[in-house]
Amino acid sequence: MATLEIKNLHARVAEEDGEQILRGVDLEVKSGEIHALMGPNGSGKSTTSKIIAGHPAYEVTDGEILLHLEDDDFGDLEIPDDARTWNLLELEPNERAALGIFLGFQYPAEIEGVTMTNFLRTALNAKIDEREELLFGEDDEEEEEEAGYDTSPMEGNVDDGEVGVAEFQKLLKEKMDLLDMDEKFMQRYLNAGFSGGEKKQNEVLQAAILEPSIAVLDEIDSGLDIDRLQDVSKGINALRDEQGTGILQITHYQRILEYVEPDHVHIMLDGKVVKSGDASLASDLEDKGYDWVREEVYEAA
Amino acid sequence: MSAQLPANLSAETVREISDARDEPEWLLETRLEALEALDELELPDVIQTPGRRWTNLEALDFESLVDPLNQADETTRESPEGVVVLPFTEALSEYGDLIEERFGSVVDPQSNYLTALSAALFTTGTFIYVPEGVDAEDVKIRAEMNSRSLFSHTLVVTEKSSSVTILEAVESGDSVDDARYFSNLVEIDAGENSYVQYGSLQNLDEETYTYSLKRADADTYSTVNWIEGNLGSRLTRSDVETELNGEASETKIVGAFFGHDDQHLDVNARVWHKAENTTADLVTRGVLDDEARSVYEGVQDVGRDAWSTNSYQRENTLMLSDQSEADASPKLIINNHDTEASHAASVGQVDAEDLFYMVSRSIPEEQARNMLVEGFFVPVLEEIEVDEFRDDLEELIAARLR
Repeated sequence: MATLEIKNLHARVAEEDGEQILRGVDLEVKSGEIHALMGPNGSGKSTTSKIIAGHPAYEVTDGEILLHLEDDDFGDLEIPDDARTWNLLELEPNERAALGIFLGFQYPAEIEGVTMTNFLRTALNAKIDEREELLFGEDDEEEEEEAGYDTSPMEGNVDDGEVGVAEFQKLLKEKMDLLDMDEKFMQRYLNAGFSGGEKKQNEVLQAAILEPSIAVLDEIDSGLDIDRLQDVSKGINALRDEQGTGILQITHYQRILEYVEPDHVHIMLDGKVVKSGDASLASDLEDKGYDWVREEVYEAA
Repeated sequence: MSAQLPANLSAETVREISDARDEPEWLLETRLEALEALDELELPDVIQTPGRRWTNLEALDFESLVDPLNQADETTRESPEGVVVLPFTEALSEYGDLIEERFGSVVDPQSNYLTALSAALFTTGTFIYVPEGVDAEDVKIRAEMNSRSLFSHTLVVTEKSSSVTILEAVESGDSVDDARYFSNLVEIDAGENSYVQYGSLQNLDEETYTYSLKRADADTYSTVNWIEGNLGSRLTRSDVETELNGEASETKIVGAFFGHDDQHLDVNARVWHKAENTTADLVTRGVLDDEARSVYEGVQDVGRDAWSTNSYQRENTLMLSDQSEADASPKLIINNHDTEASHAASVGQVDAEDLFYMVSRSIPEEQARNMLVEGFFVPVLEEIEVDEFRDDLEELIAARLR
């Protein structure tokens, strides 16, 4: 069981006189749990998610983000004792991803010329390689260079890598079926020309392929019609039920929480988590609004 | 004329070249006239921006670059059934009249100093003839330059309702210590309702100065598609042009370049709409690394009689280094209001959000950047019909990224 532990996280925009956005965020998400992170615009929800993933636009000024791993987190892979707790802030974004952190983007990039199949298989193989390197310190840089050589934008890396083309396509097809996604997406360019809903489905698909320990989903529900919302929700529930992924779901709305029932609900205000509770907190919020939280928090203070 | 004439360049030299090739009188005359015109002719125009002349052709030292009597190349020509693909020396005996009629009809040897020099001195190149109704795929010409200077001239003639796809690849063979000069003129006379795709891949060593002018005359209902790939040479000046002279004729000029170190690329695509219902699509994608520079000019010229024209132009340059430099001038000249046209150019870096997206999926940063660059060239790769050409270009791009 993996645990993502955010402690007293302070962060600002990484530029001169950059605005302070996070002012002491505390949050803990464990494998298999579903957390909803709610809050008004500008409260720091998206920033929190980007900092977890390692976005270079933000600078952490205080606090830490730890990832604790346990034996069963990477299937049969044995995790050495000295590689069980990681300070994410010291790792590159791709290294964080390799250890099981996944960020579902609010606005996924559209990338022409790189097919979904190529992208996802490259990502999966890179994750497996990088994870071994991090856990066991294997330095196979030479091999990596070699492997990268025959890459083609149309077909992907011709070298088989850990997961070969045929095996990967089978895996991809399975996951697409689960999400009710059309197979034609496999050969399309990454998010290019996808509708808003298709992009969000694709984020969940990528999580399903990469099997993260903790998935942070930034407004995965925005811009979805009801059918697509149900597909996406089904995908998120499957991540938790079948892969034991811990979910941190950032949302403005109660709507998705009817389909993806949270174990915990947190409310952010002004760069801090000010209130936590169970699923009922989301309905209270829906009824009473953020002013209610604000009053309660600041009165108490 | 500011360029200097090499001391060993005389009518005598030109006669010697022509005699050695056993050429007919008319061709010798064409060469001699070109030689004589050198005095009067100017170098091709180059782009100027305030305080800067981007490509300094004047600095080319023809005195040391050009060695007319020691030109050497090794060229292989693959021709599918039904198409004539021959060096001029072999083609002249059987197709002499046709060659005499068409040679220089699309690219006037006296267009500028460099074309005239080429016409006077060329010793290699290919005559490609596609007879009426012949449907041919994959003419492949692979040339290896083995001398200090090499002048090449290619003439493509497609008769009515014929079609052909052509790949021309140019590389360096034996290494020469000093700078080299390669000149490549290509003319396409596309007959009524014929189809030509002419792909060119230039990957000469980085001691070579390359001048290339490719031009097509598109007759009624014909289509001429160019794919122009430039990865080699120290300096490349490339002009690819189509005159849409026939009603409903079409052209695509698709270009890819990838410069690194201190390579200089001067890449130009031009189309003239001269008849009704003509269509043009100009697409160029370039990548610059290290201190490489590129300058692009794209011209869409819609003539007075070109009713119902469709004309589009896009150029994108991707910079991988802060030291690289690029300039782009898309130009649209419209003399007939019945035109649908667009033109756009951009110069930028790898998108940071695209990169972060990929890296957040475990892909190491450099590999992610390389995938984005390879993906950037895909719109060009997708246009290529000769598989071998696409594979070669992909491979060269991949090799340059690593």
